[in-house]
Amino acid sequence: MSRTLEDVLFGDLNHRAQAITRGVSVTVAAALAVLLAAIVCRFHAAGQFEPRLWEFFAWETTWAFLGKGLLGTLASAAAAAGIALALGLVLLVGRLSPLRLVRWPAVAVIEFLRGVPTLLLIYVCFLVLPSVGIKLNAYWMLTLPVGLSTAAVVAEVYRAGVLAVPRGQTEAARALGLTQARVFVHVVFPQALRYIVPALVAQLVIVVKDTTFGYVVTYGELMQNAKVLISNYRSLVPVYLAVAVLYCLVNYGISRASRRLARPMG
Amino acid sequence: MESVLRLLADHGPAFGQALLLTWKLTALSFVAGFALGIVVAVASLLPLRPLRFVLIGYVEVFRNIPSVALLIFIVFALPDLQVVIDYEPSVILTLSLVCSAFTADYLRTGINTVAGGQVDAARSLGMSPMVIISSIVLPQALRSVVQPMTSLLIALMLSTALASQVPLPGRELTALVAKIANDSAAGISAFALAAAMYLASGLLIAWAGATLDRKVRILR
Amino acid sequence: MSIRFVLKATVVALAVAGSAPLFAQGTPLNAAAFDALVAQGPVADAAAIASNKWASKIKQAGTLRLGGTQTSNLFSLLNEKDGKIRGFDAGLSQLLTRYILGDGSRYKFTQVTSSTREQVLINDQVDMVLATYSITPARAEKISFAGPYYTSQAGVLVKSNNKAIQSHNDLAGKKTATQAGSTGPAILAQFAPKAVVQEFQTHQEALDALRQGRVDAYVTDYTLLLNVLSLGTGEAQLAGAPFGPQDAYGIGLPKGSDGVAFVNAFLKKIEADGTWGKLWTITIGQRTGSTNVPTPPAIP
Repeated sequence: MSRTLEDVLFGDLNHRAQAITRGVSVTVAAALAVLLAAIVCRFHAAGQFEPRLWEFFAWETTWAFLGKGLLGTLASAAAAAGIALALGLVLLVGRLSPLRLVRWPAVAVIEFLRGVPTLLLIYVCFLVLPSVGIKLNAYWMLTLPVGLSTAAVVAEVYRAGVLAVPRGQTEAARALGLTQARVFVHVVFPQALRYIVPALVAQLVIVVKDTTFGYVVTYGELMQNAKVLISNYRSLVPVYLAVAVLYCLVNYGISRASRRLARPMG
Repeated sequence: MESVLRLLADHGPAFGQALLLTWKLTALSFVAGFALGIVVAVASLLPLRPLRFVLIGYVEVFRNIPSVALLIFIVFALPDLQVVIDYEPSVILTLSLVCSAFTADYLRTGINTVAGGQVDAARSLGMSPMVIISSIVLPQALRSVVQPMTSLLIALMLSTALASQVPLPGRELTALVAKIANDSAAGISAFALAAAMYLASGLLIAWAGATLDRKVRILR
Repeated sequence: MSIRFVLKATVVALAVAGSAPLFAQGTPLNAAAFDALVAQGPVADAAAIASNKWASKIKQAGTLRLGGTQTSNLFSLLNEKDGKIRGFDAGLSQLLTRYILGDGSRYKFTQVTSSTREQVLINDQVDMVLATYSITPARAEKISFAGPYYTSQAGVLVKSNNKAIQSHNDLAGKKTATQAGSTGPAILAQFAPKAVVQEFQTHQEALDALRQGRVDAYVTDYTLLLNVLSLGTGEAQLAGAPFGPQDAYGIGLPKGSDGVAFVNAFLKKIEADGTWGKLWTITIGQRTGSTNVPTPPAIP
């Protein structure tokens, strides 16, 4: 079916229906335009267009400074993603195991890590672990809980992909004499990956978002550097706006890049 | 074990209030976010290109922005634009906006699963587009997204932990255990108790969602 | 067309569109004098370091791990253009770094807030915390303090048009900001128990809350408030005189560490040779318009 839903809904309307549709569309669009104008007006009325609030953005040092913060964010996110993908695989294998002794602990770990807020895990690493002798540095106190939390979700995403692979594939491979392990590694998992790349990338975006909690464990990342700029230039709205835009761009970029990766896999 | 009992003796009521606050924040944010998400999803069907562009932008922004960054913007930066929102409504606003973006996204997928033939048939019967959307497309779309929406609700409940980052008058679960861990040595039991409460709430929501899904799911 | 050009053009356009008086940062810190003062600070002799476990550990590591703040205008502010942190607290930590390692810039900085100051010492993430850290018995149970190196009382800051609050006695029922984990909450509990207290993680956030009208008053260290006034924007004023107990700032060290004796010896040295006074003048005195150099507090 090459026609989209919108074409079917709104194509070939009679005059009255067309008029109504146009009326509704224009009203909604006008409302949005008014909202946008109101926002810009408010910016102006609150004096947020004053040059002193924006002029430091023209300096290279400002962007270099923000860039350093962003690198901190990405460094933690990359490692956390690695942990999540690897540990998620381990948890998946445990989850799919026919042995109850292996499966039940795997399920328990997955359900625990999924059912608890990441921020809570971060606080545990920061406030509780040291009292039992585990002293991590700030980087790991952020990366580890984020990685663990995401690993559980990734395990479930892997599992959804594995379950989506048609049973016929497994049966055929077994009929050809491959062992269960071989079947998984060479037949089932590669196909599962193809189904779940978008979901995995969504997790990657979540990992980047979770790194904003870095200041809770005194890890320096983008939000922290933003606060320094605010203290130096007393410019709240522009700095936070710039940081928000940066985060959105980074995460959007990750989503877009993954779509390009997914294409050759079909 | 006795440390947990002692913890309950000292802070029992506080934990109860914290749990209630967590649920309250979750419920309010979900209702608002869900409603807003439906509006955005339906509006993005309208045949107006600029409108669709803006709505896609809205969804992309609130899907990709970290919730903490959004909350900090609302609490600390908006007042400079003379929009001062109290702390609890700020948390609810933040979570609602993020929830609405994900809702709109899931609903779009749900809308796409509605068989095109039904819409064709409805059009040939002379139904107007808005009636088709409200009586055919939307109900089926909603019924098909119960599972991702359940996951979203659980994620929303876990996200209420970020309320610990602003000076709320009350304390929700994460803020409470962070304070207990800072002030006393009962850290481990406090966190274990909070974790258990989050887990239990999540399991409850998951069970309710699964039941609902079984009842309204459209078998194709 | 480089990004730089586009940015500059945008700024020029905005400058034409808007018109505002040049922003007053208050008297900026004399960076050259600050750097010079740190560069000529005393250096400990090898024997003193070798006999002290805390100092030798730092000397062996080659870096001093410091917990501090980067966003406090008077005490410790990071200039992102040259990457240097300057202020009263910053100066003391750099002087101490030079004292142990011979070079005031060989420190590794970790940003701490009121909520994380004790934990980073317990977690061994830092060797010391220098961040307007008030000495209280409750904290002294978890960590050890060297010093005090500075004392101050509490003050009340309100917006300039606020006539209702004349002193800390008028805070009943008013929304009052204070810094979480500081002595503010305890002081308010004692002197203004009926105030509605809101705790913030940093000085900057509390200030913004006052400016934005979220709170009616801000109670914190008097010196910090003087700095707000020195920014010259005329938006805020002090309500009443400094009140409350003398708040003693100390240097946080791990519990039971022998670094306490070492740091105390260092503090006595720089107070005796006038470095403390000069640092105060450069970082606080010149910027708040105060000319009386206070006497440093006695160290037990």
